[in-house]
Amino acid sequence: MYFEVHQPMRLNHFSVFNIGNNTSHPSYYFNDKLNREIFEKVAHKCYLPTNKLLLNLINKHDGKFRISYSLTGTFFEYCENYMPEVLDSFKELFKTGAVDFIEETYYHSLSSLYDELDEFEEQVKMHNNMIKKVFNYRPRVFRNTEAIYDNRIAKKVAEMGYKGILTEGTDKILGWRSPNYLYKPVSANIKVLMRNYMLSDDVGFRFSARQWPGYPLTADKYANWLASCQGDIINLFIDYETFGEHQWTETGIFDFLFHLPEEVLKHHHLDFVTVSEAVERYNTVDEIDVPWAISWADADRDVSTWLGNDMQKACFNELQNIGRKVKDNGDKDFINTWRRLQTSDHLYYVSTKGLEDGDVHKYFSHYDNPYDGFINYMNILQDLKQKIV
Amino acid sequence: MKIAMIGWEYPPFKAGGLATHCYGLTNSLADKNIKVYFFMPKTKHKAGSNKANLKVIEVGETEIFPYDRPDDKAIGGKFFEAVHRYNDLVVARVKAIAKKEGKFDAIHAHDWLTMEAATTLKQDLGIPLILTIHSTEYDRSGWVYPNQWFIDIERAGMQKADRIIAVSSYTKNIIVEKYGIHPDKVSVVHNAVYPIPEGQKQDLVLFLGRLTIQKGAEFFLKSAKKVLDFEPDTRFVIAGTGDMLPRLIHDAVDMGISDRVIFTGRLTDDEVKHIYSISSVYVMPSVSEPFGITALEAISAGTPTIVSKTTGFSEAFKNCLKVDFWDTDEMANKIISLLRYDPLSRTLSHEGKREINLFTWDRVADRTIEVYNGVI
Repeated sequence: MYFEVHQPMRLNHFSVFNIGNNTSHPSYYFNDKLNREIFEKVAHKCYLPTNKLLLNLINKHDGKFRISYSLTGTFFEYCENYMPEVLDSFKELFKTGAVDFIEETYYHSLSSLYDELDEFEEQVKMHNNMIKKVFNYRPRVFRNTEAIYDNRIAKKVAEMGYKGILTEGTDKILGWRSPNYLYKPVSANIKVLMRNYMLSDDVGFRFSARQWPGYPLTADKYANWLASCQGDIINLFIDYETFGEHQWTETGIFDFLFHLPEEVLKHHHLDFVTVSEAVERYNTVDEIDVPWAISWADADRDVSTWLGNDMQKACFNELQNIGRKVKDNGDKDFINTWRRLQTSDHLYYVSTKGLEDGDVHKYFSHYDNPYDGFINYMNILQDLKQKIV
Repeated sequence: MKIAMIGWEYPPFKAGGLATHCYGLTNSLADKNIKVYFFMPKTKHKAGSNKANLKVIEVGETEIFPYDRPDDKAIGGKFFEAVHRYNDLVVARVKAIAKKEGKFDAIHAHDWLTMEAATTLKQDLGIPLILTIHSTEYDRSGWVYPNQWFIDIERAGMQKADRIIAVSSYTKNIIVEKYGIHPDKVSVVHNAVYPIPEGQKQDLVLFLGRLTIQKGAEFFLKSAKKVLDFEPDTRFVIAGTGDMLPRLIHDAVDMGISDRVIFTGRLTDDEVKHIYSISSVYVMPSVSEPFGITALEAISAGTPTIVSKTTGFSEAFKNCLKVDFWDTDEMANKIISLLRYDPLSRTLSHEGKREINLFTWDRVADRTIEVYNGVI
């Protein structure tokens, strides 16, 4: 089981009248008050109670219950600034030896899709240094932002020395093949872990959906489903906020989690592994060819969530252009601000995808609609561009 | 099913959304095999229909428009009398036709002007009454000094109606909260539009509507001033007429932007379509708007649109920009963004036109028939 833990740095209201106004320091772009409120809310509903529960479960099962995390750099900064006790609880978990960490870009960015991959590499190194500093650990498995993956990314990540990479076990890549094995990219020598989206989403999305035939989902029922799977490994990659935030305590999600390890371990052919153990233990069975980027987002499972409309593409291009100016300028404050603006969530808020997915987008966005998201974000990019000379 | 529908305006004569709605609704009902007799005052423009199921019947003459206020015109004290007189004529005419051509299944009336006739007919003919509320006195007065005389007529009509159709949830809330009507009696049916072709866009920001306190043109003008400080080449058009026109012209001169703001006065239907089609931004800054068909019209012509949040339209439509009518800073921010950021305009135009396809008179007729079936 692997959990993504991330918080973006949401933006202040920034109108065209603020552009080029010299009194506004770039730190004004970020809405510290809102960010702190949301972080503290999620910490109390999700991070702290879930960490405590998982720590108890690991101890209760003598380390047989094993999990992996990816913590983003922005999440880490929130912990440091607002609630160090959240970080302490992750350190406690790591000390059990039943937990490992996954690498990614520090800013949870889309830098893997830029024309040049130098910025991507820098952000991965920043994340690597952060994990090393906090946990004295160097991850060996990589998971890109929202599992974005293609042949080029796989090649780059392999060259950077990682043993494994996670992505979505989407049918359009696997075809008839099962996600419950490791695969090898056509482009590089690295092991790919494919997310089992059916079983992962049963917990992440469908857990409390009353019209779903699987409702109510209990730990023993779920363990039976896992036990009946063919293959080497079932990759359950779940957004950490599923626990207590997307699925509220009242849905019974914590009871489900509490009983899950014992129900799984009742089946003697099942056990838990961390992602780094998984790539040690299993070999690849076949090759996958992914010329166009996939991800685990929305029904489309591609990058249209962030680059689906003209507004998103315009922002993305502007970000890349600003990058060249920022690097020529060299000012550390500007580089830091530019990187915080690269967090993929800012583009996610500008998505106009309709109906089903649109509802999910709206749930996560603090803007009234994607158009407001675009205006605000683009105004800020214009201001930053003007400030860099 | 045979419906006696009592209206006030109907194309080619129109002063507002009521005419547009009645035209779209009656035509689509007729296509669905509902027989509609549409009663309206005689005007200079001859109204008619070429559909067998739809008869447009002109009754007497009147000087009053649904948007008139008692103190508006020279008719002055005769205002109330004129309303009563027209209602009496309608009652007599509907009864005569019922006697000659057979019973109606229901009466369907629109807004306050004909409510008296509608309730009398319901009582005398013993058939159900459906009332569509396109606007209330609270909307028309912009919530400033609403006139009790209108409110009393509206409340009496709403109480006696068997079912009420509100053009938005926004309006339904007013009907429930201010007129004390039970929410179960009120169905919401959003308006629709016959799409207008897109033209060659110019750097033109459009306001179109009656220049009354309800429509918020003064907020548009204040935003125009703020936009022009940053984008001095922009042109603004204020289309329409009304009691606030002299003051608005005066304000534009005062602000020093009279060379950038064009007051067109009242436009013909073709001119309206043309101005929608060439505008780059449409703004509907209404203080209180039950629906706002003009926003649908602008968007159907591919024009990105900013609407105030106190409109029924804003609850019904996703692909538009929304502001508080009083927040002229934010209105200006959004106008400038639309002028500067081409991808924003393009996406709004494209997605807006897609969403417009959901707003058909066919759907309005279906929903209206559901309401008829509930009471007949």
